[in-house]
Amino acid sequence: MLLYTIKRLLWMIPTLMGGLFLVFSLTYLMPGDPASAMLGPTATQAKIDAMHIRLGLDLPIYERYWKFLTSALQGDLGVSIWTGHEVSALIGSVLPKTAILAVSTIAFASLFGIGLGALAAINKGGIIDKICNYGSLLNLAIPSFVAAILLMMFFGVWWQIFPIMGAGEGEGFWSAVHHLVLPVIAMSTGWAAFMLRIQRETMIETLGSDYIRTARSFGAPRWHIVYRYALKNSIIPSITILGMGLGALFGGAVFVEIIFNRQGLGQLIVQSIYKRDLPIVQGGVLVAMVLFVITNIIADLIVAWVDPRTRLK
Amino acid sequence: MVNGQRKNSDTTMVPETGGQDKAAVVHMPGPLAQQWGKGRAVMAGVWSSPEGRLGLCIVMFFIGVAIFANFVAPYDPYEQSIRDRFAAPSWAHPFGTDYLGRDILSRMVYGSRTSMYVAFGTNILSVAVGVFLGMLAGRNKGNAIDYSIILMFDMIRSFPQILLALAIVAVLGPSLTNVVLALSFTLFPFYGRIARTQTLSLMEAPFIKAGQAMGVGTMRLMGRHIAPNIMAPILVAWGMEMTNMIIYEAGLSFLGLGIAPPGASWGNMLRKGLDSIYVAPWMIIFPSLVLFVGMLGFTLLSTGLRIGLDPHERRSED
Repeated sequence: MLLYTIKRLLWMIPTLMGGLFLVFSLTYLMPGDPASAMLGPTATQAKIDAMHIRLGLDLPIYERYWKFLTSALQGDLGVSIWTGHEVSALIGSVLPKTAILAVSTIAFASLFGIGLGALAAINKGGIIDKICNYGSLLNLAIPSFVAAILLMMFFGVWWQIFPIMGAGEGEGFWSAVHHLVLPVIAMSTGWAAFMLRIQRETMIETLGSDYIRTARSFGAPRWHIVYRYALKNSIIPSITILGMGLGALFGGAVFVEIIFNRQGLGQLIVQSIYKRDLPIVQGGVLVAMVLFVITNIIADLIVAWVDPRTRLK
Repeated sequence: MVNGQRKNSDTTMVPETGGQDKAAVVHMPGPLAQQWGKGRAVMAGVWSSPEGRLGLCIVMFFIGVAIFANFVAPYDPYEQSIRDRFAAPSWAHPFGTDYLGRDILSRMVYGSRTSMYVAFGTNILSVAVGVFLGMLAGRNKGNAIDYSIILMFDMIRSFPQILLALAIVAVLGPSLTNVVLALSFTLFPFYGRIARTQTLSLMEAPFIKAGQAMGVGTMRLMGRHIAPNIMAPILVAWGMEMTNMIIYEAGLSFLGLGIAPPGASWGNMLRKGLDSIYVAPWMIIFPSLVLFVGMLGFTLLSTGLRIGLDPHERRSED
């Protein structure tokens, strides 16, 4: 286990450095000069040169990458072109909001996905299985932003059961929950459907295995077999998906955040794209990447810890 | 959905884990003439399940509409008519009109062109690059080439797909070609991983060993002998990735980072629908419905491909 953990973490280092390089090189894809963009059309050449030096644009590329890397590791992601705010502070202020959204989505999705998947597996071929099968297929075909718009139209505009704007900040806990309902449903349907399918597949495989048959022939009660033996052993792939989902949703929440006008990482990135504020875009994508990598690794480590077979690969 | 984002790498996992057995069943070494037979076998495999049949029909319908858009669309999708602004669905305009009086049905029809262009373009580019690099890595197992290719794959895969695509389009500037390029950049490592895993198990096969012993060159070995035999799992992943790319294109256009304004995309139509949510619900309902049916078609097709191409799946069906 220790060896596996170390290997996994060591591989993370070149991956993250490569990822940082990718984010860094975005600056090069950008047409135009950031210094002249910041100073506007009236700037003199001397002013532009001074800005180049201040931004470190006069240094050779490897030195700039090194500077970017070391300052990013220290949590310094530069400053916004337009407002001069610290990028890390901006991201820090919106990250908890996205985190609430992502965590509740994944919690909701796994509750439904794993639960219904297990139920479908137990009733394989039965009516519940069929409903789950077709239901999940239909759900997989609805992108979260379409689901978000439709939910907003039905429950927010027509029937006006749920609020459609903002996150209900400063209005107490229940208001925040009230504002969370539609975004969470919109984002979790696809994930729940996906988890349902995986859970069902693994559970059917587990239920057909020898040790379940043995347990059955020993006369173990059905709920005991299902809960203690089958569910616990078939939950492993779902953990992997849970980790991936949580990481992906930090970035994937962008549509729902924009549609429901909630503050968050995705919304910050997109608004910065509109304003062509590259440092914020870079910093935001970077933070999303790091979170994505970390949640994936944690999920992998949990899986390796629960299921020793995966460590051998 | 931008949960689709994760989903796609998960579906690519499916072929990865079952890699060993699958390659063993799928590969049939032989002259290129047999490839035709294989193509027919794939179609027969898809057609063998109800999911595959329905999926194939829907997908063919959308491809047909996209190709013959100028014959199918009842109106010019760009023609504005201020008098007919926000007209509700009627016989003249079955899906209604938008905020500039443009016919929504016609715009949907032309939007399918955008959608198919991006979905096919991205997937073809990604399969070409990904499979080539994946085979190259698998062929050079354990040496520097292999590690640098895996590192590149993992580096790109360590980003949430939609965000990386967003950032790339943001710096390249919004255009359909840039959308294809950006999405391909985020997608090819997924195909590459599958190709590599498949190649690794295939390298042990007797006919590859025989080819190597006879001195067949790397390129020929990869192109003629490995590539045709690792296509089954790639094809299964392709079905799912088509769905994802349709979502991503719609998503990017939704954010205003896709096709330029007068152009029609399901995504930018939905955005306009969201802006007119109080006045013109048909601007939301019909694009959502069409997007939903299209996605369902490709999801069903990929299920059909899996059932048709993966012997495990077939066994578990009965």
